[in-house]
Amino acid sequence: MAGILVVAEHNGGVLKKNAQELMTVARSLAAGAPLEAVVLGPGASKAAAELGAWGASKIHVAEAGMEAYAPLRWVRAVAAAAQTLKPSTLLMSSGSLSRDITGRLSARLGARLASDCVALKPSGSGYQIVRPILAGRVRVTAEAAGDAPLIATLRPNAFSIEKPASPAAGAIETLNVEQTPEDLRVIVTEFSRAGGKRPDLSEAGIVVTGGRALGSADNFKIIYDLADAIGAAPGASRAAVDAGYAPHAMQVGQTGKTVNPVLYIACGISGAIQHLAGMRTSKYIVAINKDPNAPILKIADYAIIGDLFQVVPALTEEFKKMLKA
Amino acid sequence: MNIAVCLKLVPATTADIKVAPDGKSLQLSGVEMVVNPYDEYALEAALRAREASAGSKIEALAVGGDDASAKCLVHAFAVGADTAVHVKDATLDSRGAAKAAAAVFKASKPDVIFCGRQAIDDDQWLFPGYLGELLGLPHASAVSNIVIAPDGQSATCKRRFEDGEQTLTVALPAVISIDKGVGEPRSPTLKGRLDAKKKQAVVKTPAELGVAGADAQAALSIQQYAPPPQKTPGKVITTVPAEAAAELVKLLRNEAKII
Repeated sequence: MAGILVVAEHNGGVLKKNAQELMTVARSLAAGAPLEAVVLGPGASKAAAELGAWGASKIHVAEAGMEAYAPLRWVRAVAAAAQTLKPSTLLMSSGSLSRDITGRLSARLGARLASDCVALKPSGSGYQIVRPILAGRVRVTAEAAGDAPLIATLRPNAFSIEKPASPAAGAIETLNVEQTPEDLRVIVTEFSRAGGKRPDLSEAGIVVTGGRALGSADNFKIIYDLADAIGAAPGASRAAVDAGYAPHAMQVGQTGKTVNPVLYIACGISGAIQHLAGMRTSKYIVAINKDPNAPILKIADYAIIGDLFQVVPALTEEFKKMLKA
Repeated sequence: MNIAVCLKLVPATTADIKVAPDGKSLQLSGVEMVVNPYDEYALEAALRAREASAGSKIEALAVGGDDASAKCLVHAFAVGADTAVHVKDATLDSRGAAKAAAAVFKASKPDVIFCGRQAIDDDQWLFPGYLGELLGLPHASAVSNIVIAPDGQSATCKRRFEDGEQTLTVALPAVISIDKGVGEPRSPTLKGRLDAKKKQAVVKTPAELGVAGADAQAALSIQQYAPPPQKTPGKVITTVPAEAAAELVKLLRNEAKII
């Protein structure tokens, strides 16, 4: 099996948790074959320095000329990193970046694409993939065989993280991504970041969401308080977002974000099929709801039947007590 | 301006989808099929782009069986598409569909090609970027707001990502995939429905478009379909709030062992 190339994402030089997941999976797939990574954008060299410890023999770094995100240049950089290794597999984390560039990359590299995989293992001469389709209503097991490389994007939090016993060489190689007129065809003119201190919803280990039952944007404070007490990302149902109680960036579900945390706490969310599509793979689901027949209870591991305006603040206090102890 | 829009027929979001007992196929007979919701937004974006630029035309494209043409293209005609192409094939995957679409658009040369950010059946997010690459055009993906410049040379788009928003300027021609936010998709009027009956889609086979042999093969070979892992019923706590909260925290710590 030829090499594996990991597109490792970072936040201003700090390797993201999903990059650690990718490296763990990549090591199991590489089984001795070359394992390389590519890191792009401001802070890339700092993040790259971490990757030897995760098992990368070589890390392609492009920082110059990559100050602002530009999809066509990012595609060119990844393709350039793949040029010498000719990887059999290119791994990315499933998210905004992968969704923007993998379609184009697969055409450029003549690769197959498997998006949002929840399992990936070698099988015969290729790979066996498990991925949810139809908004999580069905899981499909598929095989990617043959000579064409595979681009697989992995669902965040679906794979465990393990550091290797001994680091790999971690040789840093500067990737010179030339500026071309093509780059000017898509220019990102503004890049506004919401939130800030809170963890990113798509990657968070704990997610606390509120539904329309909250009744107002002000009442969402109890959701933020609970989320902040346990380091969770706050989210909202589509109904709550449509009612203006929370911004669209917080929406979990089919027309919002897909989350896959260890713990998902749904407060006042009935559990429409479109909402379940965005969170049903969470490891533990807690539902707080007045209605003992709410559909979300069918997939909840723990449920509290009661008034969320009393239960949620009580829960925040209990968590605080426990964390202090 | 020549505007194109790509439409796919998919099972309705609320449909209950069963897997055949042998796990080799999905039982889709009797399942309500609809225009992919994101493609409906793309169609709305196309209609608004045409309204903003006098003399523009909309070409709609669907890849699929006769039902795809009957639902997607008849709907597109009914809300005002001028022409349509039906690539008649129910077996192409999203990569094959992108190759067929590329062949159609190489001939018709649209100034802008709209499609949905993802098809909600296979959820691959492949089509827009793949199509852009085949046509040598830039792409902007999952755009929730779009304004085409009066000279028709560029489009300013907004795109949401994990924790924020980007504003992009894309040179046209380009492929632009659409997210919710561009405006509520309109319903056809009675007159629109009647007019649609007078319009006919041009039918092409993948082979006529040069998509045959290895090009028409699926990228992944499906071995098994399965329903999502079933959960055993959870614990329901019905005590007063303070006690229920304490009980839950205890369970999460001692039983689930996750906090």
